[in-house]
Amino acid sequence: MRNYCLLLYFIFIGIALQAQETAMNASEIAAFKEKVIASAKTTKTIKTDFVQYKHLDFLSDDVKTSGNMVFKAPGLVKWEYTNPYQYSVVFKEDQLLINDGGTKSKVDIGNSKLFKKLNQLIVNSVKGNMFSDADFTVSFIKSSKYNKAVFIPKDKKIASYIASFELLFNKDDAQVYEVKMIEPSQDFTRIVFSNRTLNGPVNDSVFNN
Amino acid sequence: MIRYLTISFLVSLFFVSCSLKTTEGLRQVHFNETEVENPYFLNPEIDYVYKAKIAIYKKNFGGILIIKKIGPESHRVVFTTEFGSKLFDFQFEGDTFTKHFVVEDLDKKFIVNILKDDFKLLVDEKANILAVYESEKQRIYKTQREDRFNFYFIEDESEKLQKIVNTSKTKEIVAIDFTASEENIAETIAIKHNNIKLTIHLEKFKKE
Repeated sequence: MRNYCLLLYFIFIGIALQAQETAMNASEIAAFKEKVIASAKTTKTIKTDFVQYKHLDFLSDDVKTSGNMVFKAPGLVKWEYTNPYQYSVVFKEDQLLINDGGTKSKVDIGNSKLFKKLNQLIVNSVKGNMFSDADFTVSFIKSSKYNKAVFIPKDKKIASYIASFELLFNKDDAQVYEVKMIEPSQDFTRIVFSNRTLNGPVNDSVFNN
Repeated sequence: MIRYLTISFLVSLFFVSCSLKTTEGLRQVHFNETEVENPYFLNPEIDYVYKAKIAIYKKNFGGILIIKKIGPESHRVVFTTEFGSKLFDFQFEGDTFTKHFVVEDLDKKFIVNILKDDFKLLVDEKANILAVYESEKQRIYKTQREDRFNFYFIEDESEKLQKIVNTSKTKEIVAIDFTASEENIAETIAIKHNNIKLTIHLEKFKKE
């Protein structure tokens, strides 16, 4: 009986904790977009930590990796995983510079449309400013804790990799704090940002890799 | 005399070309066991997660390899990039192979076949023994699958599986080396091909 009560208690708490999501109306969408675009415009550099969770339905636990990310306007990005291994990628013009625990390689993405698109997605999702992207159908959702933009790719090839792409924004400063990429199989990758510093000094040499 | 030399040359050539390197210098022994076991991916409660580094010809790329036992004689093997996007998703159930997903660039028959054979060799739980050999420190179990042979090298002292070598009748095709620190957990795995320039190096994720 006691267990039963506990179970009920957790179910109710669980429901209460789950933020109620509703679709934004037209004026809310306009105001939200404006805020995100304004915030993206004033963002020259970003430094942030992140934790990445890879969810596969058949696993007991999500595969967890973590590290930090540095962005410098207009389009330099360095993703660095530090736990449980060292791996970093710099997105620089039409190249990916990879350092896999000391093994360095370059990937030319100039002629890969798909890769360019994915790269652009990463850069734009960091800034949050990707509402004007014609390749996606975007919907806007609000809750008491966050605003959410859901992107569904129109291109069939991209759709075969990503069913949808969700960005969660802080309500106050309109910064992205979580990115979720959902695959057609419903497995997903979730990246949660923390300890963000905006517009601090970032030396170009960070992106040499 | 010349005829004798020619014959002995031909005979030696015959023996050189037909003898398999794997069993060179080993002595064949009698055996009572019927099956040899690969103990590394047997526990259905464990998510086996590895950082992977692949070198193919002169190209390098990395990713995350995830292996999970999902039923009796059934394993799921998924490879993703470091960012989490899936490159392939296979299932092995006994001799049945299911390709759940392969990214377009890798979805070519010869690539899928190589990956399928490598990971089947890696996750196969047991095989019937054909012959047993001994070296100073190891017992080597010969098994067969289709027209290929697999040799399982088990160290006497630790009783750990150290290596699996996949061969044709005369040549080594693939070798998998294991180092295991904990009981039945392979900490590092190296898969090396002899006929193509392909190596896959796997290192187990450290516990937090």
